[in-house]
Amino acid sequence: MSRFILFMFLSSLSANAQALYPDDPVEFEPKPVSVTEVAKRKLSDYYDLVRNTLDTPGQLNRNASKPVRAQAVNTLGEPMQGAWWVKRHYYKPMTLDELVAGPGKDHPPAPQGSWTVVGAKNEGITPGFVILDGKNELYFIKFDPLSQPEMATGADQVAIRLVHALGYHVPENYLVEFSEETLVLGKDVTLADRLGRRRPMTRRDLTEILLKVPKNSHGRYRATASRAIPGTGIGPYRYHGTRRDDPNDFVPHEHRRDLRGFAIVSAWIGHDDSRAINTYDALVEENGAKFIRHYILDLGSTFGSGTQRPNSPRSGGEYLFGWKQSAVQLFSLGLAVPYWAKASFPNLPSIGRFEFARFDPERWVPEYPNPAFLNRLPDDEFWAARQIMSFGNEQIHAIVGSAQYSDPKAAEWLAQCLIQRRDKIGRAFYKKVLPIDKFEVRESQLVFEDLSEKADFGAAGPYTIQWFQFDQKTGATTPLPGATGSLLPAQSGPYLVAKIESGSRPNQRVDVTLRLGISSSPTVVGVDRLW
Amino acid sequence: MTKQVIILTLNCLLLLSPPGLGQTRIDAIEQQRSEHQKQLAPEKNTSAEAFLLRLKDEKILERISYGYNGLRAKLGGLVTGGGFALGPEYFREDLARGSVLIRTGAQISFKNYQKADAQFTLPKLLGGKMFVDTRASHRNYPGIGYYGPGPDSSKSGRANYRLEDTALDSAVGISPSRFIKFGGAAGFLAVNVGPGTDDRYASAETLYTPTQAPGIDRQTNFFRYGGFGQFDWRDDPFGPKHGGNYLVQYTRFEDRDLRLHDFNLLDIDLRQHIGFFNRTRVITLRAHTQLTDSRGGQSVPFYLQPMLGGSDDLRGFRPFRFSGNNSLVLNAEYRWEIFSGCDGAIFVDGGKVFSRRGELNFRDLEASAGFGLRFNARNRRFIRMDFGFSHEGFQVWFKFNDLFQQRPLGTAGSQPIW
Repeated sequence: MSRFILFMFLSSLSANAQALYPDDPVEFEPKPVSVTEVAKRKLSDYYDLVRNTLDTPGQLNRNASKPVRAQAVNTLGEPMQGAWWVKRHYYKPMTLDELVAGPGKDHPPAPQGSWTVVGAKNEGITPGFVILDGKNELYFIKFDPLSQPEMATGADQVAIRLVHALGYHVPENYLVEFSEETLVLGKDVTLADRLGRRRPMTRRDLTEILLKVPKNSHGRYRATASRAIPGTGIGPYRYHGTRRDDPNDFVPHEHRRDLRGFAIVSAWIGHDDSRAINTYDALVEENGAKFIRHYILDLGSTFGSGTQRPNSPRSGGEYLFGWKQSAVQLFSLGLAVPYWAKASFPNLPSIGRFEFARFDPERWVPEYPNPAFLNRLPDDEFWAARQIMSFGNEQIHAIVGSAQYSDPKAAEWLAQCLIQRRDKIGRAFYKKVLPIDKFEVRESQLVFEDLSEKADFGAAGPYTIQWFQFDQKTGATTPLPGATGSLLPAQSGPYLVAKIESGSRPNQRVDVTLRLGISSSPTVVGVDRLW
Repeated sequence: MTKQVIILTLNCLLLLSPPGLGQTRIDAIEQQRSEHQKQLAPEKNTSAEAFLLRLKDEKILERISYGYNGLRAKLGGLVTGGGFALGPEYFREDLARGSVLIRTGAQISFKNYQKADAQFTLPKLLGGKMFVDTRASHRNYPGIGYYGPGPDSSKSGRANYRLEDTALDSAVGISPSRFIKFGGAAGFLAVNVGPGTDDRYASAETLYTPTQAPGIDRQTNFFRYGGFGQFDWRDDPFGPKHGGNYLVQYTRFEDRDLRLHDFNLLDIDLRQHIGFFNRTRVITLRAHTQLTDSRGGQSVPFYLQPMLGGSDDLRGFRPFRFSGNNSLVLNAEYRWEIFSGCDGAIFVDGGKVFSRRGELNFRDLEASAGFGLRFNARNRRFIRMDFGFSHEGFQVWFKFNDLFQQRPLGTAGSQPIW
């Protein structure tokens, strides 16, 4: 034993990585290195489309001899809380009020007084304003298209709450109603024409912009007011690589679990527009350090909304372009009808093209390949799926209610779709790894939840547990003869591993590592899902 | 007890070890960070991305398309077979906040085909319920193909002639709902036809007599007027996938000089788009007939006779392959989505020209069939390629417009050669 202690001591002085450290699992990202120089950047959506469609940016698992497991996670397989993601609903169930409040409920544009228009966009089909409210807070005002009242604004309200409850950083978006009289034109506001030439904006311009957006039955305009994100905007992030001027961004994005898992979230809410251009990096200062916080933006293009019009039925079913499917379509003369083309959509202008019957979470894709989504592995999918499954029917109905659809059928359909799609996600991804989680030691027994059983999909067990001693330095395990079952073995070292298997799923296993404390009870410090 | 001491000792050793040497996870992460910090560099777009960004941000394509204060270069726009054409165009649709459209331009092709035209349109009168559209044009096409009259004309009988005309027309329309338009139009058309300049073929007057090709020997001018009605319930006129467009136009041509060529023209164009599988597949059906009526020894001049053949009707035949007093063409096209931005198409065309309206039936139709590709952006088709086959061989069409492009309402679009 003394040799073992000496070995461990010497090893602890080594800078080499080891399987477990004493501070594992790390819950939060370490205090960020202060960002000194960071450039504001713009990305080209065309370039992003072409590059991701015709090239393979990032380190893709499909090109690797051995898939790269998700990084930026702790030893429990959870992303560390911080600039990208934080634990929310699954980990500590949020109340209905919290879910409905979403990312914020305390800073809507002041309803009293006027809103000063300080910027406007009149190009294209979707006009918008930038306003300062009576409290001098900045908001971006976005509308629905004339032909689809409530579609984009409703989708944004629901999606922003779901994505927030799933742990991602999103802006505070409020559903507002106002009359034209609320708007006051600010000084020296200019408006760009379709060629980008700017000229002073007039009251008539403002009226003409409002002519392009729908009014409700009370003659008022419904819009999303997106509160300016705190900090300095420095442009979007990509779904591959790292930001080269960010000292804290050292894990390639295609390997981040939170971004890989966002594929499943996007499938759930029909966010086919999940691409770099719809993300946002903000340089913020907290606790004396400047760092970059990463946001998901522009969720108005979800639930069958294409923001300006209902989404194409192709949305989520296939990429805009793919060599194989294009060849199939070309040579089959269209007789090979893709599954998504057979979907049927109700005539609900405020929802767009969203359904659940043909939805296949494993086949769902965004508009074009997303390296992080492509890299997802079954444990990434499970990580997201179990969070999605944590939304109950009542909670989904309550969140959908925040969209304030004037047609009750629209709200009912959207809630129904979310519930059915949620269940399809659970069924699909609970099958790919053992669907057990929430491990803890209670009365010297290792206990956990079978999430599949909890969701009424049927238990994946019965489970067998085999105990091993664990060398946290090397990661090697040594079987403890006769140590089986949920009861912790009496004779063991500082670390134990429980290898949990199910006879019905021979290739799947979960290794749960426990650290045995002296004064405290054993702690789960590692979870590794194998398939 | 011994076990607990060992664990405690171990943990203490791990925790008390000097920082920065990887004793904790935080240390390990910090180390990764410091490795990353050594490689920090300013964020910079690739030159390709910077170019695309500039293209979009500075609206370079829009500026090229719009030109300088509306003055721009125009490519193409002449009759099929006229060759590559280029010329200046002045186009403004933003005047008076979009309630006035002005366009004027001139093009000349490498085959010396020429066209100058102007358009003045008020599209939003009475809150969009009324429109006025005035057009003027002068065209000089020196080698238009002509194969002789009737359905039995021979492919080897190809000749050519010069078509030179000047037109001024105005249409006034009412649009009581977004589906319906009706109105009236009137205009003047001065025509000069002469020997063709394409020396590969005989000039038309050397092969065809005035009896066969009325008007080939003497020039005249026309006053024309008529009415039109349209019911258009297509889902998207620029890329229809569902709905129909039914158009009826009547035009009276009065020969002002020779008094030999007074006639009536009834043009019925029915199009139906049937989308299925969420409109990822579309069947487009079209029936188009042009019926003329000339009485009292009057005749329809050959250059105003309905014509068939070309990229918009019988796609397996050469342009203007058939001409006669009346025409009927039926098209069926099946389109399917290959990828977003490209549709495949298979089509069948049938049509004929005939001398008596009693022959308006489905017998003795010339047939062609083929396939094609349609490229679109935001559901606006901008390029199509068609390969049409018939018993006279095959034709390849490469066009920068959609199939069955609609001409202007009223008399301005009543000539067969557009």
